[in-house]
Amino acid sequence: MTTPVPASSTTLSGPVHAPLGRLVRSELRWVLRRPRTQIWLGILALIPVLMGIGIVVTDSPGGSGLFTQIAGNGLVLPVAALSISLPLLLPLAVTMAAADALAGESAHGTLRGLLLAPVSRTRLVLIKAVGVLAVAVAAVAAVAVLGIVTGLVLVGPSGTAHGMLTLSGTQVGPGSALLRVSLAAAWTVGQLAAVGAVALAVSSVTEHPLVVLAAVLGGLIMFGVLSAVPALDWLQPVLLTTGWFTITDVLRDPLPLDGLASTSLRAACYLLIGLAVALARTATREA
Amino acid sequence: MTAGSATPAATASLVDLPAPAIRVRGLRKVFGSTVAVSGVDLDVPAGAVLGVLGPNGSGKTTMIRMLLALSRPTAGTVELLGAPMPAAAGAVLPHVGALVEGPGFHPFLSGRENLRRCAAAEPLLSSRAIPDAVEGVLSRVGLASAAGRRYRAYSLGMKQRLGLAAALLVPRRLVILDEPTNGLDPAGTRDVRTIIAELHAGGATVLVSSHLLAEVEATCTHVAVLDQGSLIAAGPLAALLDGGAPALDVRTPDSAVAMQALREAGIGCSIRPTGVRVDLAGTDPPTVVALLVGAGVAVHEVQRWRTGLDELFAQLTEGNSP
Repeated sequence: MTTPVPASSTTLSGPVHAPLGRLVRSELRWVLRRPRTQIWLGILALIPVLMGIGIVVTDSPGGSGLFTQIAGNGLVLPVAALSISLPLLLPLAVTMAAADALAGESAHGTLRGLLLAPVSRTRLVLIKAVGVLAVAVAAVAAVAVLGIVTGLVLVGPSGTAHGMLTLSGTQVGPGSALLRVSLAAAWTVGQLAAVGAVALAVSSVTEHPLVVLAAVLGGLIMFGVLSAVPALDWLQPVLLTTGWFTITDVLRDPLPLDGLASTSLRAACYLLIGLAVALARTATREA
Repeated sequence: MTAGSATPAATASLVDLPAPAIRVRGLRKVFGSTVAVSGVDLDVPAGAVLGVLGPNGSGKTTMIRMLLALSRPTAGTVELLGAPMPAAAGAVLPHVGALVEGPGFHPFLSGRENLRRCAAAEPLLSSRAIPDAVEGVLSRVGLASAAGRRYRAYSLGMKQRLGLAAALLVPRRLVILDEPTNGLDPAGTRDVRTIIAELHAGGATVLVSSHLLAEVEATCTHVAVLDQGSLIAAGPLAALLDGGAPALDVRTPDSAVAMQALREAGIGCSIRPTGVRVDLAGTDPPTVVALLVGAGVAVHEVQRWRTGLDELFAQLTEGNSP
């Protein structure tokens, strides 16, 4: 591809790349060190804590549903916190990261630096995708871990020793309960990865991070509106937000996997489409 | 395409010339209905320091962005270091350092951390060499003492210096600097000149765009002048300056007599406050002086008139401006 020019010292070797691991580490350090990422992770970590405190303070016996389940049921709290954060707060964390990843870097003029190094455009998108995924994992981990810790503190080890009281009324052991929380967390990361990929696609066509935030969060709200219109029921299978409530399936016994599997499949479709658009647009982007 | 690009290089090496560091043919860029760059052909010999001059909006930055494959030409081809861009960008760009459209860094990171991030993406830097390379280039641009401060707190000049540092992280074969002295104080401007001179001495090719003519005249071996997207002059600095109509300034109190004598001899001339300026087309200084002395003109001083770069620039761009 590159013609070595003879009879001068101007011989070029083939394409050379910086080590991928080094680029990914550098990207992760950049993403996770950002003040806004850290602040938002802190806010997310507060959610299970606030929920736990709220429940203990009100502590109304009787009634049913998720919230009353948490009292005396430490391991339900992380799942409840994830399900509360999923519609907006967690997607916001991922969307912010994706907005900064391409649009923000472009606005700062730093995208040019990376392309001139050079980092090939395909690698650039993949590295950025890893960065966004890292934020998704960190955000979910913040909610889940603080949820578990808060549950343990508020309900006490004795309450959790029996494991988890499921919505179906049965009791599962602590090991199985932790596994269920992990499943909920992993499923949430999958949904956020889909949101992140779409956000990265929007990020690849603009240099205004705000446009990315508006488009993705506006889109999620619009999905919610559409799914509330009975005449548009036929749209349900293509809306990402359809079935986001299935996260509470992990609290049922026996564990129904259909909902979780089909929503994950839908997320995978969004993920692929988002990444494909981001790759295609970045390949021709003027930086 | 590969074969086509190899042929001119081979021909060039027959006459013992290295391949040009930059070769541009028919470069054109259109944004909607605006023609930003139209039909630029340019060869920059390896080892040259090319100053790209042009008024604001003349297409300097657009051209540079196309050279570096940041932007795709509407038409035309670019070769850097003998290889076609953007096809060979992966092989070429590691050897190219560039500061384009001002420095771009993250405000929440320190200057050092910003450079570390740039260094991580440099293919020619081994991971072990990164800390030394970063510290070395920080002191080279005079930022060693401010390296730990956040970029947010940097002055315009310090930002510009950091941008320069990123371009010089690795020894480069080609360095492209777009308005490198923007926002720099006189000391900073001098530092940039020193750096360009060092790069030149080290054998690197340098392309500097600027609207500061004095700076270009002081540092460049070659000049290209862009106006409204077209290349209106290009060549070695000395040739361009001499290329303006050669003339002779004659200081004399007897301007009228001198003018008459010269006109009679068919030599073009014009009157100046201190004497006459003689057009040297078709004649030479000894003839002119002999003629004037023969006509009884008191010749106090004779000086070859050289076009300054700013005069040349004014001539070239005059009348074209909107």
